[in-house]
Amino acid sequence: MEIEAIDAWRYRIPRDESRGMRTDVRVYASAALMEQIRKDLSLEQAMNVATLPGIVGSSLAMPDIHQGYGFPIGGVAAMDWEHGVVSPGGVGFDINCGVRLVRTTLEESEVRPRLRALIDQIFRDVPCGAGGSGFVKIGARDLEQVLVEGAGWMVKHGYGEERDAEFAEAGGALEGADAAAVSQRARERGMPQLGTLGGGNHFLEIQYVEEVDDEAAARAYGLAPRQVVVLIHSGSRGLGHQVCTDYVSTMNKALAKYQIWLPDRQLACGPIRSEEGRQYLGAMCAAANFAWANRQAILHFLRGAFRRILGDGARLALVYDVCHNIAKRERYEVDGRKRDLLVHRKGATRAFPPGHREIPADYRAAGQPVFIPGSMGTASWVLAGSEGAMRETFGSVCHGAGRRLSRTAARKGRDAREEQRKLEERGILVRSESRDGILEELPEAYKNVDEVIEVVDRAGLARKVARLRPIGVIKG
Amino acid sequence: MQRYDEDMAAREFEILEHPADIGFRAFGETLPELFARSAVAMLSIAGDPPAVEPRERYSLHVESGDREALLVDWLSEVLFWFDGRRIAFREFRVDRFSDTAIDATGMGEPRTADRHRSRLMVKAVTYHQLKIERRDGLWTADVYLDI
Repeated sequence: MEIEAIDAWRYRIPRDESRGMRTDVRVYASAALMEQIRKDLSLEQAMNVATLPGIVGSSLAMPDIHQGYGFPIGGVAAMDWEHGVVSPGGVGFDINCGVRLVRTTLEESEVRPRLRALIDQIFRDVPCGAGGSGFVKIGARDLEQVLVEGAGWMVKHGYGEERDAEFAEAGGALEGADAAAVSQRARERGMPQLGTLGGGNHFLEIQYVEEVDDEAAARAYGLAPRQVVVLIHSGSRGLGHQVCTDYVSTMNKALAKYQIWLPDRQLACGPIRSEEGRQYLGAMCAAANFAWANRQAILHFLRGAFRRILGDGARLALVYDVCHNIAKRERYEVDGRKRDLLVHRKGATRAFPPGHREIPADYRAAGQPVFIPGSMGTASWVLAGSEGAMRETFGSVCHGAGRRLSRTAARKGRDAREEQRKLEERGILVRSESRDGILEELPEAYKNVDEVIEVVDRAGLARKVARLRPIGVIKG
Repeated sequence: MQRYDEDMAAREFEILEHPADIGFRAFGETLPELFARSAVAMLSIAGDPPAVEPRERYSLHVESGDREALLVDWLSEVLFWFDGRRIAFREFRVDRFSDTAIDATGMGEPRTADRHRSRLMVKAVTYHQLKIERRDGLWTADVYLDI
């Protein structure tokens, strides 16, 4: 594999026609991160994405890129709306997996003394879902509306405050949801899981603002030093997993019909303008809306837990909510011409610059808030979108730290209780359904999030606003 | 919570590494046995099949375009029963098998939190490096799961 350095933060893998690539790959990384990235199959996967019909610009790899299935995690691919394809695997099994940041009116010193009780309460009120269900009880007809209205439905039915939905990407509901395209199985699997966190790398973290890098933007987002915030990472649960499973199968069966050749079956795709493409996008939007409803329900239960432990004085407000597994129709200038594109973000976050009309008015001067969770026990970042992302990456940046060790490697030679104690010594309380869950998500398993942030900041894709430090973690 | 370490059911399947997720390699003397063991391997990552009482029988039927797609779709079906219908399986008996269709009976019972422990939450079955091969007289299947 031929890799050329463009500058200190950008690399390029030229188009290789013998592999069927229709374009090149651009990687955003430092030299040190590039060393780590080369160790797994993520660059091969980014090259495979470059073979997809209708891809516009480069197949993009963010600095947190790591090996996924079909698409790499931390990849962005824009497809021509008229002639391109949509790939369910390019969105992922966890449709609209995302993060929302919640600010509180409390300082770290006010929460510390009650931290253990607070964590225990949240652990009870926001189940991970292994037990099968959460505390939101809805019927089949309600679900039909949730799939169309997303976070707004939850707010309307008592799971939130009036302005919550306004502060989510797309207002917490994508237009174009087609509930009829969501299978009965997806509904059956997902419905009881509404209001649950999920497993894997999903979490809920209590953090405080450790450092502010951009005061004006931090002020706009309502963030100040020592302030306690909560970061929620969850997605569309079984409903989204099943939608993706259903449509990977549908697309695989249709490949011959559309004469699409793929280097990896997990890339299964169909023309955006085909019946299969239209149905998948309708179902994907519905699953995305389910994910926003899920994160909204979690915020509601979080508010209850704070009130119960810290009293009515504790007020919680949504800063913003971003998705990092999604495909969206957006308009970009490409080679001097405005074009409608379907932007696949698989482990990547939208990052619109100051002045963009899709950003809530309160934040418009600062740019869109972007949240980048680090690993459990290190740090997370608040960024603001920049013009550079619009010019180079279809308005996208990274989504996390990116894994470095496999789950088995992370567990090897480590004891969960011991690791939990070490984290406590550093001022971080951890609760998890599973001991393996703690070990597999240890900081050592991930790349250094600060290095990842440095790349996107220096490459001009987004700018640093604030650094957040965890004090309490709930793991799915 | 128990660990799903390599020693467990070592001869029927083993765990494969992936940077973010997890996979398994299952073994079988015949393709039907391979498919049945693949399902148990996946459920061993998600839960604890040996702890399940085979009190009920559930009929599963899957059709697909080719052998590999059939394996992915079969495992996806089992996962749907596990995560969506909340059924814990102990084992499977394959009643009819071809490269494009499988009829099987799952032996198990409804999942309860106290009796059936959960391990990793499996989101889905993938085509990533999927392989079905016959090696030294034994069928093997490599499958990666999204966690």
